[in-house]
Amino acid sequence: MALLSAVKMVLAGAPPSDMDRERALLRRARAGDPAAFRTLFERHSPGVWRFLRDLLRDEAAADEATQETFVRAHGRLGALRDQDRLGAWLLGIARHVYLESRRSRGVHVDVDDEEHASRVEAVLPTPTPEDLLLDRELEGLLADALGMLREERRAALLLRIDHGLPYEEISSVMGWSLQKVKNEIHRARLQLREQLAAHVGGRP
Amino acid sequence: MSACREGELDALLAGELSPEDAARVDAHVDTCPACRHALTWLRLERGWMAQRARRTPARPALSFSALEARLARPAIPPWVPLPGSWANWGKMMMAAAATVAFVGLSLMQGGPVPLGDEPRGRDVRMLGEACEDPSGEAVAALEAALGACLVASPVISSR
Ligand SMILES: [Zn+2]
Repeated sequence: MALLSAVKMVLAGAPPSDMDRERALLRRARAGDPAAFRTLFERHSPGVWRFLRDLLRDEAAADEATQETFVRAHGRLGALRDQDRLGAWLLGIARHVYLESRRSRGVHVDVDDEEHASRVEAVLPTPTPEDLLLDRELEGLLADALGMLREERRAALLLRIDHGLPYEEISSVMGWSLQKVKNEIHRARLQLREQLAAHVGGRP
Repeated sequence: MSACREGELDALLAGELSPEDAARVDAHVDTCPACRHALTWLRLERGWMAQRARRTPARPALSFSALEARLARPAIPPWVPLPGSWANWGKMMMAAAATVAFVGLSLMQGGPVPLGDEPRGRDVRMLGEACEDPSGEAVAALEAALGACLVASPVISSR
């Protein structure tokens, strides 16, 4: 009984969730509180930068694109609805900034990865606990494997596995149907595994 | 075959399934080598991405003071309508910019940007709180070294 009431007390006085804290910050930022906007920037800029770095594959360009993303976010805070999640919203802006920068630089080097997709059902090794350690070599291989994915597919995969967005939010960021999101992410995963299979499961 | 859906395994690890669905998928995984294999890969992926996120470098060019300077520039692009309450902020910040830049710079030099508060970091911390070790001491040792729970999920039990 004492335990139960202790549990109830803990639940009643539970600290605000991350989401609640973020909503509060967002309200303050919209009301013009620069400190709140700064906190939001500091929370989200590393993730936004990483997303842009992974898309642009250029760190300096990612710096610039991240600043641009937050400049736009600052101007559009008022358009953000209460139920929106700031992280997904920022990544959506980042993707637009990326697409524009790619267009303006005239860069469009997309890997044709369809042929890989056809043979990814190959038998994959089972990872061992040792494989979990992402050493520098493996990190480089992972970056290469991500780079081999078609840009859109890479973006969708990263929104899921790096940024933890639910499929519905990825669907709105990418402008895709839910089914397409699921298909693309599944294919991306299979391609990634195929690329990394040789380095997983009983490495010497 | 129809019971094997990687999307459900993924949702299980992300803690997105209802308790009922989580229990159903969990029970299926117990009897299905293909899903166990897929789950191992999904965990590996999560672990790798978490480590990668923690290594996001601090970018001196990506400071809040740089952003403030940019927001304070008179030639603001047409897509940025500054609401009234923000309008004077830029000027005020110009004055404070030197201080902020100085403080920001010293913070930067102090070490990597704390990643605990960015989206992925929050994920990892959540996992850390409900951390269970599904695959033995090697993982536990690795997690201790990395300071994060890499493979457990708040939903899935140890197996
Ligand atoms: Zn199965």
